Amino acid sequence: MDLIISDLSHHIRLNKGFFLWMGFLTLAFLACLFAYIQQLKYGLGVAGVRDYISWGLYISNFVFFVASSLIGMLISAVLGLIGMKWVHPITRIAETIAVAFAAVAGLVIVMDMGRPERLAYVFLYARFQSPILWDVTVITTYFVISLLLLLLPMIPDMAVLYKRFANLPSWLKPVYKVMSLNWSDHPEQNRIIHRSIYILLILIIPAALSIHTVTSWLFALTVRPGWDSTIFGPYFVSGAFVAGSAAVIIAMFFFRKNYKLQDYLTDLHFNNMGKVLVLVAFVYLYFNINEYLVPGYKLKRADAVHLRELMSGHFALMFWLVQVGGLLIPLILLLFRRMRKPLPLTMISVVVLIAAWFKRYLIVVPTMSHPFLPIQHVPENFKVYTPTIIEVAITLLSFILVLMIITLISKFFPVIPLVETAKDKGLDPLKSIQS
Amino acid sequence: MDENTTHNKDGQDDSKSSRRNFLKNIGLLGAGVAAGAGALYSGDIFEKKKAATGESKVLLTQDNRLVEVDSLEMKALAKNPTKLMLEKGREGIEGKRWVMVIDLSKCRNARRCIAACQDAHQLKPEQYHLNTLQMQDNAGTAPYHMPKNCQHCDNPPCVAVCPVDATYKRGDGIVLIDNERCIGCRFCMAACPYSARIFQWTTPKDADRHSGEAYNVEINVPQKLGTISKCLFSADRCRVGKLPYCVSACPNGVYYFGDENEDAVSNGTTQQTVRLSKLLRDNGAYQLMPELGTKPRVYYLPPKNRLFPFEPATDEVSKEG
Amino acid sequence: MKRLLYILMLLAAVATRVEAQNPGWPVPDDQKGKICLVKFTPDMVKGGEAIYTKNCQSCHGLPAKKNFAAITPSPGDLSEPKAGTQKDGELFYRITTGKVPMPEFRNILTEDERWNVIAYLRTFHKGYVQPDPEKMAGTAGKRIKLSMTYDTLKKRIMVKAVELSKEGTKPAKGAEIMIFVQRYFGAMQLTDPKPTSESGYAGFDWPQDLPGDKAGNIIVSARVNDPTGSLQEAVVSDTLAIGVPTNKPALTDTRAMWSVSSKAPIWMILTYTLAVLVVWYFIIYIILSVLDIRKIKQA
Repeated sequence: MDLIISDLSHHIRLNKGFFLWMGFLTLAFLACLFAYIQQLKYGLGVAGVRDYISWGLYISNFVFFVASSLIGMLISAVLGLIGMKWVHPITRIAETIAVAFAAVAGLVIVMDMGRPERLAYVFLYARFQSPILWDVTVITTYFVISLLLLLLPMIPDMAVLYKRFANLPSWLKPVYKVMSLNWSDHPEQNRIIHRSIYILLILIIPAALSIHTVTSWLFALTVRPGWDSTIFGPYFVSGAFVAGSAAVIIAMFFFRKNYKLQDYLTDLHFNNMGKVLVLVAFVYLYFNINEYLVPGYKLKRADAVHLRELMSGHFALMFWLVQVGGLLIPLILLLFRRMRKPLPLTMISVVVLIAAWFKRYLIVVPTMSHPFLPIQHVPENFKVYTPTIIEVAITLLSFILVLMIITLISKFFPVIPLVETAKDKGLDPLKSIQS
Repeated sequence: MDENTTHNKDGQDDSKSSRRNFLKNIGLLGAGVAAGAGALYSGDIFEKKKAATGESKVLLTQDNRLVEVDSLEMKALAKNPTKLMLEKGREGIEGKRWVMVIDLSKCRNARRCIAACQDAHQLKPEQYHLNTLQMQDNAGTAPYHMPKNCQHCDNPPCVAVCPVDATYKRGDGIVLIDNERCIGCRFCMAACPYSARIFQWTTPKDADRHSGEAYNVEINVPQKLGTISKCLFSADRCRVGKLPYCVSACPNGVYYFGDENEDAVSNGTTQQTVRLSKLLRDNGAYQLMPELGTKPRVYYLPPKNRLFPFEPATDEVSKEG
Repeated sequence: MKRLLYILMLLAAVATRVEAQNPGWPVPDDQKGKICLVKFTPDMVKGGEAIYTKNCQSCHGLPAKKNFAAITPSPGDLSEPKAGTQKDGELFYRITTGKVPMPEFRNILTEDERWNVIAYLRTFHKGYVQPDPEKMAGTAGKRIKLSMTYDTLKKRIMVKAVELSKEGTKPAKGAEIMIFVQRYFGAMQLTDPKPTSESGYAGFDWPQDLPGDKAGNIIVSARVNDPTGSLQEAVVSDTLAIGVPTNKPALTDTRAMWSVSSKAPIWMILTYTLAVLVVWYFIIYIILSVLDIRKIKQA
């Protein structure tokens, strides 16, 4: 038992590597924050977006963040509820990613606002009919549920570590004490916690489906070619699982290596996650075929322009790299067991994740680039969208924030559920604290 | 003795002439006077200029009546003109349903409409509430110039998606934007199939000169950084019975504007008023992309029997202002 | 003899051709002689120039610059003899009435403004001498008075014109009557002008589908077609309850997806509110029950 505790908790300390990494993130954060201050000062004009292509990097990035946060639901709820025991060590990683991306997604949307100081108006003057109200509502809800799903299973862990982990940094002790909620493994306590987690696991499924469906509706509820689609909800959800699975695999790889969790995040877990990625990628491929083949067969006027721009026009290179290099080839590779070993799987996941980001760009920008009516009598930068350095920096800012949140959570709390892991191995770590 | 005190002396029974004189007196207030809320505000300026001593003054009310108001009372009302104009701008003009007809056979891309519009709404050269587009429906048909503004749809997709009720449709059909409310999310721009909306990406034109001016929602000036702008059917002009800026500025008789409920539209160039239903029927009028179900309030008359040969547009805006 | 016939035919043909230079735009004889009742002044020329720049230049170009628009029929340069040889009355009539594509300026420019434009154009016409207004004074037009009634049986507007003179009144025959209805942005002419009959009457079928206000009231006016503006009294106007009563609801009256929040479709308000309430009920319930864990102690 002590071995498990030290294995899973030895990283909980302030070491040089942590300071270096956080220092680096903080510096990068400040640099990017400066970019955002420029935007606050001079307006959204510092970004490349203009009157026709009025949504660019920020919105693509927002969609990506919402997508990545969706994985918490898939791993914990879907796989958990159908009784897949192997997901237990991964659940916390998945929830951490969900919380981090969901929290920052809210900020990303504020970065895109022309008048961020009026954020409160969204609640003060809320319109029931606006998908933005729905989006704000479901993202807040999903964030809270994900946060609870991260915290609740941690309660027993906190209690055990507070009492039995000798190396727990003293400044963390009060935090752990508060978070353990006087846990004494009382049957009534267990009943409450199990029932609560069970309810949350059920709640998170519609909440998660909602966040990405509603996010897809930001596009699908318009009449523009490329967005005017009835399958946008499931198309986005399946795409989200691809991005999220890849993100979890990458996180697993880093935690396994940096926190020396080889015994807990085994090849089996990578293999299984690889299979999950194959499954969701197949579903996503299926929706992609629907999304492009159906309008491509009919070639209605506006759709024809859209598809031509994507497949052989201005966006063709990015489109084929993303579709073939970022979805089809990884999918085929992952069918082979050898490719689902940790290292190749992680490398493939990195490619998939980057492609997933560009895929969001390909959903947002091309549709705006060719509206129904021609773009005339405007400067060249209104016709072709080119992200600016400031815009890229502000986008990086959001990634830095996600990394910071993930780092802080994973560094100061056990990455792998401790009590659950012990119980799976037939141990009862709580016996000792019952007295 | 000034006209105003004459009026007070003579009391209610005084003839029209003193009213006329009074109005002449405040002639500098112009159209704004009649614009209800504007009237109270302008009255305030007038008061200040005249150094009021608490005596009662005559003012034009929102329903175009002249009333006597105690100047002290009036000041209290006029404290926030922006707010008054915002409230007023939420209500359409009762009984009206504005409609625009654009006769493509007469348009030769003179772009005077654009100039008048940009001037009235403090827009930079590349910012269009109204733009004339060079159109060609397919390779076999002839090119033509098409003025394109906000279509003021009766089923406006832009208004539907607004999260904060900043853009709204009025009872008289005009779709307006309250830029004291707009959060700059640009969802409306994405939702509009006509690309009618623009955004103040950078500091608006002459922002220093207009800073501190009361915001008038019916003309959307002064323009505000980080908010949306678009064609307003010149709601300020409609209120005072004048044709929109673009309609009046056209040298070629392209634009008709009027009230669908009256079944009449007036041509801004010839000042001729004609029956809307007949104009639409006789010329085979159509709407832009009616299949989208947006129900536009702008009609187009096809470019047949053209008065001018087609000349390709050359006036590109090359630099962002 | 035959030869002479040919010559005559040839002459006739030439004459027709000359006539055809301005085929569709004749000026009535009684209008040709109209002149400005004051001498042109430099101020008038200046005013005329401003009006010209605003209203005429887009087609006619700058005088003597030959930069008029390439359209058919050609607007021409107004400094040329084609315009220069016209009488003041002819120019005035053509500016007043217009002819497609040239707009009619009757309602756009006042009579004075039209004369200003002519004063300006005349500065380009060499050899032009303004007719002396003094000699023409006292020849102002007739005074005509109009009255208007609505014939409910025949559904016609009846306009009666009488000529006022020192001897008394008599029905005015052949006066061209136009009728208008008041609309928000201006008066709308109903049908083509009609001349009055022997007894001074002109009747106009009233369109049965013309909208009036809530009560069907509509302001109708009649006036004599008078391009020269010499019959200023010849107008009559009245409010008649003969329009279709029109009281269309405001476009914002129904619940709609695009309406304000309080006018959202009921199902949308209910769905949103219910979904939020149900989910947050569970979330708050869970938070509260989990906080209760603190109070449970091992027996």
